[in-house]
Amino acid sequence: MAAIRVDQLHHCYDDRGRAVTAVDHVSFDVQENEFYTLLGPSGCGKTTTLRCLAGLEVPTSGTIEMDGVVVFSSRRVVPTHRRDIGMVFQDYAVWPHMSVFENVAFPLHTGKRLSGTVIKDRVHEALELVNMREYADRKATQLSGGQQQRLSLARALVRQPKVLLLDEPLSNLDAKLREQMRKELRFLQRRVKVTTIFVTHDQVEALSMSNRIAVMNKGLIVQVGTPREIYQTPHSEFVAAFVGATSFVQGTVTSVDVEARQVSLDTTIGPLVSDMNIELAPGELVTIAIRPEAMRLSSDPFEGTNNIEAVVDIGLFVGDAVDYDVHVGDELLRVKGSPHTRFRRRDKVFVDVPPSECVLIRRAEEGEAELARPQDTLETVMIDTSA
Amino acid sequence: MTTTIERDDPVAADPPVAPPSPGRRSGRISARTVINTLTILVLLYLVLGPLVMLGVSAFEDTSGGVVITPPFPWTGANFHTVFTTSETYTVLWTTVLFSGGALLFAFAVSLTFAWLVERTDLPARNTVFVLVVAPQGMPALISAIAWSLLLNPTNGFVNEVLRSVFHASGDGPLNVYSLPWMILVQGMALVPLTFLLITASLRGMNASLEDAARTSGSSFWTITRKVTLPLLKPAIIGALVYEFVTVVEAVDIPLVLGLPGHVTVLSTQIYNASHPPVGLPNYGVGSTYGIFLLVLALVPLLFYNRIIGDSGSYVTVTGKTFRPKIQELGRWKPWAMLFAWGYIFVSFVMPLLILIWASIQPYFGTLSRDALKRVTVKSYKSTLSSDLFMTALKNTLVLGLATAAMSMILAMLVSWIIVRSRSRLRWMADVLAFLPHAIPGVVIGLATLLIYLILPIPVYGTIWIIAIAMGTQYVSLGTRLTTGGIAQIQRSLEEAAEASGAKQRHVWRRVLIPLLRPVFFNGFLMVFLASIQNLTLPLMLYSTGNLVLSSLIYTRWDYGDATGTAVLSVVMTAITIVAAIFLRNAGGRRAGE
Repeated sequence: MAAIRVDQLHHCYDDRGRAVTAVDHVSFDVQENEFYTLLGPSGCGKTTTLRCLAGLEVPTSGTIEMDGVVVFSSRRVVPTHRRDIGMVFQDYAVWPHMSVFENVAFPLHTGKRLSGTVIKDRVHEALELVNMREYADRKATQLSGGQQQRLSLARALVRQPKVLLLDEPLSNLDAKLREQMRKELRFLQRRVKVTTIFVTHDQVEALSMSNRIAVMNKGLIVQVGTPREIYQTPHSEFVAAFVGATSFVQGTVTSVDVEARQVSLDTTIGPLVSDMNIELAPGELVTIAIRPEAMRLSSDPFEGTNNIEAVVDIGLFVGDAVDYDVHVGDELLRVKGSPHTRFRRRDKVFVDVPPSECVLIRRAEEGEAELARPQDTLETVMIDTSA
Repeated sequence: MTTTIERDDPVAADPPVAPPSPGRRSGRISARTVINTLTILVLLYLVLGPLVMLGVSAFEDTSGGVVITPPFPWTGANFHTVFTTSETYTVLWTTVLFSGGALLFAFAVSLTFAWLVERTDLPARNTVFVLVVAPQGMPALISAIAWSLLLNPTNGFVNEVLRSVFHASGDGPLNVYSLPWMILVQGMALVPLTFLLITASLRGMNASLEDAARTSGSSFWTITRKVTLPLLKPAIIGALVYEFVTVVEAVDIPLVLGLPGHVTVLSTQIYNASHPPVGLPNYGVGSTYGIFLLVLALVPLLFYNRIIGDSGSYVTVTGKTFRPKIQELGRWKPWAMLFAWGYIFVSFVMPLLILIWASIQPYFGTLSRDALKRVTVKSYKSTLSSDLFMTALKNTLVLGLATAAMSMILAMLVSWIIVRSRSRLRWMADVLAFLPHAIPGVVIGLATLLIYLILPIPVYGTIWIIAIAMGTQYVSLGTRLTTGGIAQIQRSLEEAAEASGAKQRHVWRRVLIPLLRPVFFNGFLMVFLASIQNLTLPLMLYSTGNLVLSSLIYTRWDYGDATGTAVLSVVMTAITIVAAIFLRNAGGRRAGE
């Protein structure tokens, strides 16, 4: 049985007389103890969806079921404080006028009365979980960002809720701490076994922590899948571009080899052979998405099928690799080269594009796919070329 | 090696979630709804009640009192009287001159001081700051009395000095009981608050805005004209509108200085109509003048809202700032110092000294060697031990506490509705909390008087009628503070409590109230301070049973007891200055520390 069932969740609000749809008839199920991530750019509706689950936002229509209990429907609204949840906020929301202990003990004072020793034990247990036991007597304002984060997590877990809701909990931490907290959070979630919904705009967080990811855009869930599925076989240009950097090439299917499950393509960077990840027929229009790390560069031609001649625009040494922008005709490709390569601007290079690394996305109409591309990716590309 | 994935940076957080559409089912009636509704109802009664009363009485024949049950004695006679008397137009013109002149003076002085203190190398800037603000502890009533002691034509201290220097005789040469001097005294009374408001926003202004202009090659004057002043515009206009209402509503300076010289402004006109020295009060005509004053006070507010709009007014306020570059005064430094200390001497030191001098003299007479021999503290003993003083002191404290409690509790509840609730009544709460600010005190006083003359609630003639009127008036001030305070509390702090299973009542008790305590306390003191200084309402609602310090001082003065007045004034000034210091220290502390 699903721990959380969201059915046709719809949320629209009134913005100076204009109806704005934040969440557009979204449905999804989350399994018991699953780590489920809502991933998307800002304004995609992921936070609103989470707040609807918490009861902090009242949806316009739809049904929300938690642990077999309907908490929202057209007939029933269970207020936030009666939902069996724990929540971590983006800004932690640690109460500044209470000590660490008082912050964590707060949720235990709300329901049925517990004895002092029980409260003490459970608070210490929760603080132990996040390695904060020795800070129990500190004032909440004396904590660092990372510690406030842990405190807020302990507070969310102390009631042993059925559902843990995380609203971009790592986004206010610095890069090092964020990496560490990713691991800790995932360990913790496995240990305490709690169904978790995690909202983030960071694809690294989403890929590294989740059991399943739902990618959202403009109030809709555009793809649901395991991190591998989302990264390796995106169903749309949006998902491909949002989850990791990608080069897109437009092409037409010229022939299909059913036995080898390969297609030959005529593309803007010349003829390509690609593995067939979707069923295609000759003449169909496709977009080919290629990850930067899937390609290799060399000054001499490679052995093999897809061997493309290109010119280097810029190479940025980033330590473990060199990020190259190369162009083939008018097309720009982003290639992650080995750190040992030292190509310069205007150098002629050969790009190896393995057929197994090409992801084909069907294109219905000319130009339509272009519009679906998320804007921030376009911006990133522009910034990179100008650098 | 793990897969390296490019991050799309920077990605902003989701925009704040807008309130949901109106017209949503709510289902159950929560305690929150009940409290919200009650708050709005109380406000409606407090704010609209007086306004309705004012309107009714202006259109009635009130010779038999105001009537609120049919048959109504409707008449247009009050308006006819008011419009056809030439006095009305004289009074209006005087009011415009008086308020315009006082504001012009106050803003010219305040801007100069703000600039000197915040942007130049004037020596002892901090001391200057404190001494410019200090007269705030001297209520306008008391400074009017002090100036009367200094400049009255018969035995005014300055006049006597001038006469002896120029060997003149008779009265004068200066007469404080005239419009120009009233303007000056009122102007000086406005300076402390105006100066505080302007320096606050000058300090909050991000210095890099000015530095950017400087690095673009602009000269000092260009920066002042093109950057600093335009950025200050919202603050200046806001202060202007606020101070305008302060000027037109007050009766203290117009009564003390205007009455002897027959200079009448709208507020004293209303006071005279409802408290004539002889004969019966004419509430109808008083109310009609009240409506005039109300309109006069509302016009700049509409103007203000149009100029400021709702955006942009906070742009310049950022948290941390560096002190911007200091303008060196160079050879102007002595002149700047002369101006600063000269003004401080005239506006604060001189009035204070004359009050102290008058309070240690058995009677206020000429300054001479004999007068020095007459110095005595006997008046302090007799005045401070009198029953009248003790009653007034007790009443003042009760009034201050009751007013502050009432307006701050209401303000908290209203601010929560404005900032946090999704109630459809939100706009109404906003308007109702703002209105008392626009209703001149003298009008609130008159209208409150009319209400409790009729309603069978036994507060007329007690201290409570003043507390109700004052509480209503200071809801606006309180709401300004608490709205800011609640808005500063991150919403997620409340949401986290809800998500932890806390009921609304717990959220208030355990999270909101503890966090708001400093704001509440600060506002409480501010309202307390303002209400003990207020003369307008105690005088409008005066009766023998509700004497407070300010009305006691006025009645002693009116009676001609210069020494007693001076003693009380010194004591009152001491009390308010102590309260102000307390406020300043309390205001310095922050929540959670």
